[in-house]
Amino acid sequence: MKTDSDGFSDSMSGSTELASVVEARKAGRYSPLKFHYEMIRSELEEIVGTDHISTEDSDRLIYSSDWFWAPQMWLDRGHPLPLPDYIVHPGSADEISQILEIANKYDIPVIPWGGGSGTQGGALSLYGGIIVDLKRLDQIIDIDEQSLTVTAQAGINGTQLEWALNERGLTLPHYPASANCATLGGYLAPRGSGTISTKYGKAEDLVLTMQVVLPNGRVIRTPGVPNHASGPDYMRLFLGSEGTLGIITEATMQVDYLPETRLLRALLFDDLGNAIEAGRRMMTRRLDPMVIRLYDPDSTALRLKAILDLELEGAYMVVGFDGDPDIAALQEEKAMEICSDLGARDLGREPGERWWNHRYDFYYPPKNLKMPWMFGTTESVSTFDKIKRIWEAQKVAVEEGYSDWDVTYIAHFSHWFHWGSAMYSRFIIEQPPEDAEEAIRLHNRIWNTAVSASLENGGMINEHHGVGLKLGRYMRRQYGEGWNLLLTLKQAIDPNGIMNPGKVGFGR
Amino acid sequence: MIDNPIDVAERCRHSLMCRHVCPIGNLTHNETLSPHGWAQLISLERRGLSTWNEETVDALYACADCGSCRAHCVTSQALPEAIAAARAEVVERQAAPAVVYEMEAQLRKWENPHVQEKPVPADDTSDVALFVGDDVHFLRPSVLEAALKLLAAVGVEPALFGKGRSTGYLASSLGLPDLARDLADTNVEELNATGARKLFVLTPGAYFAFGQMYDERLGLRMPSGVELMEVVPFLAAKLEAGDLHLDKSDDAVAYAYVDPTHAVRVPDRHEAPRRLLRAVLQSPPKELFWRNERAYPCGNLALAFTQPALSQSLTEARLKDAVDVEAHGVITEDAGSLVHLEKYAPSFDLRVQGFYELLAAHLAS
Repeated sequence: MKTDSDGFSDSMSGSTELASVVEARKAGRYSPLKFHYEMIRSELEEIVGTDHISTEDSDRLIYSSDWFWAPQMWLDRGHPLPLPDYIVHPGSADEISQILEIANKYDIPVIPWGGGSGTQGGALSLYGGIIVDLKRLDQIIDIDEQSLTVTAQAGINGTQLEWALNERGLTLPHYPASANCATLGGYLAPRGSGTISTKYGKAEDLVLTMQVVLPNGRVIRTPGVPNHASGPDYMRLFLGSEGTLGIITEATMQVDYLPETRLLRALLFDDLGNAIEAGRRMMTRRLDPMVIRLYDPDSTALRLKAILDLELEGAYMVVGFDGDPDIAALQEEKAMEICSDLGARDLGREPGERWWNHRYDFYYPPKNLKMPWMFGTTESVSTFDKIKRIWEAQKVAVEEGYSDWDVTYIAHFSHWFHWGSAMYSRFIIEQPPEDAEEAIRLHNRIWNTAVSASLENGGMINEHHGVGLKLGRYMRRQYGEGWNLLLTLKQAIDPNGIMNPGKVGFGR
Repeated sequence: MIDNPIDVAERCRHSLMCRHVCPIGNLTHNETLSPHGWAQLISLERRGLSTWNEETVDALYACADCGSCRAHCVTSQALPEAIAAARAEVVERQAAPAVVYEMEAQLRKWENPHVQEKPVPADDTSDVALFVGDDVHFLRPSVLEAALKLLAAVGVEPALFGKGRSTGYLASSLGLPDLARDLADTNVEELNATGARKLFVLTPGAYFAFGQMYDERLGLRMPSGVELMEVVPFLAAKLEAGDLHLDKSDDAVAYAYVDPTHAVRVPDRHEAPRRLLRAVLQSPPKELFWRNERAYPCGNLALAFTQPALSQSLTEARLKDAVDVEAHGVITEDAGSLVHLEKYAPSFDLRVQGFYELLAAHLAS
């Protein structure tokens, strides 16, 4: 979309046309482009109402960045980002449908926006366009206490939804660190995981059905339950599509009763391999832990000191069981036997409970990763036979490859499956280049190194953060020939390419 | 006093962890009008990516200064104080909304935002003092009468001061720290003149002002040895101890309790008003969704002057919350909150009951 903004690098960035627009603006004249821009604004305003559309510079500026390090760094260094042209706050799926019709008609990019808490740049308006902020869709439609489901609009805030369920003695067992800021749609669109996904599954495992507005404006509802055999489960196309194939506007989620008990316990292993093996045995023996959080030795030394004030050497593990008190106690007992057999030292309940109670403190300032630091989460997921090898390969590649920058590589194993585990690895450079261009290039080179180490050792590049802009360039390499299938689907579903262009590896 | 409070914005600009409790963010659904949005605006202005113009200043003045973000921050980042400091910079540059300068003149001359009338000088002395303030004095004096009756029932006869004077919070919130300090200084001088060792306040807002804001925002130390106490928790303790006796009300209306504006800034006070209401009401007060540590404010904030539509929305949201829990009336103790609730309650077919008035009417004979 071409606008006559002051040239904050929107779709016309660098063009002579832009220069003339800026000159005209400086001279106090509206450019010819402004005419069309205003006409489209009026069309959007007719749909959502005057109170629910903004083209104010301050709003465009704030909506120009999500939680991805690169745009945050760019702003931090005083450089402007590509700006959205319009920000709309629709109040219904029907309004979104009409917005998409306009976007198709004028070939305008559409970027869905939930909480803006994504770390992959999935909400950046790279080509300008319309930000569709879903937060007005914040209603709980139904809580079914017989089937244990909640149906809610996609813009509802995660913690607010949880509070409402808690009033009925229920919980949505999806506890991501971003719950305070993320939305239900934001849980689903990038296939997010929460702290207790090891027992309860990822957000995608908790969803029964969704309402989705397709790029052509049609509103569909997926089948009422996911576990059917009536052909392919097309609902899953939208899980992980991050707004490139449509906009999730409503979802029915499985909920649970608030557990009667939560048992947390901390352990320390001298050897990371033994700790991973302990986790493997707990999972393959179906002990059903709600959480196994295993920190590698560097992470144990750095993060546990910072967050929990614990000074330990080794691999720190927190194991948790919940639900019926008797069953949870027995599961814990069996888990402790496994850990003991593998040489773990039982640190008791207190440090485990302290971890549980403070597990999100890391995201509050000044404990959080912050500017001017450089950081990135290079997580992988793989089967048990490969996961330690991926950790070793990433660690060596990052630490040895970027030793000049005094890089710190830490990892924890956060989400476990019957067949494997997610490894949440991260690099941190406390004194990155001051120059923004140099910083972004270094950041991306480290990413290439870490992702290559993962792919070459059989890892998938990501378990729960999604792809966004950051990982799009790896999709063909990750999927091989399968990527062409996704490209074909994208072309069929969104022929004009209006939906969140530049994300998930799809272009404009 | 917090050193360089505006620097807090640098820390908060990339944190989204308090988004869920920001009443303005939730009402407007606008990313800019949320804690990280305000922090970003402040930090981006410093980086030359934005300027303080009518549009950005309007956004800056949309923060309610209710304290929710800080109350829910595990590291207690003083973002409200940073926003107040940023507003002060805007005021200095003569870029604030016109109403801010109008309110500055009003407060400078009359020491309250409501009427053209000076405060009543304090002339009592006692071991115990009670701050009256402007809202109670000018808008709802029945609150004071009832509170004094309740205190007398437990043997407390306070000297009154600040009769008709703002705490200084409003001025601070508008970005007028010098004026706020002058008002606060006068209040403290009057307090000193009473000779009191115990200072009672009627609301969480006044408790915040004397107990935290004077020090953090204004660099003003309270007189040493003076104990600050809110009347409601004091009365609840007296009830518990068997020193306060209340009769049950005949009123069968299903009331919801509205935690008053600024209640989130006083985390230990939430149970006290409920305990007192349970002693008087026929059935326990209904609980709003936004209650206790997540209580939203009513509109009696600086917003009432700078962003009246937002102020109204805040109050209406409290009333809608009450309707949603099937209440037929609302109760609260803060005079400012009561005035705002009463203004819009008829549209929601809700009664508004003063907390102190209800309790005083049911003192056991």
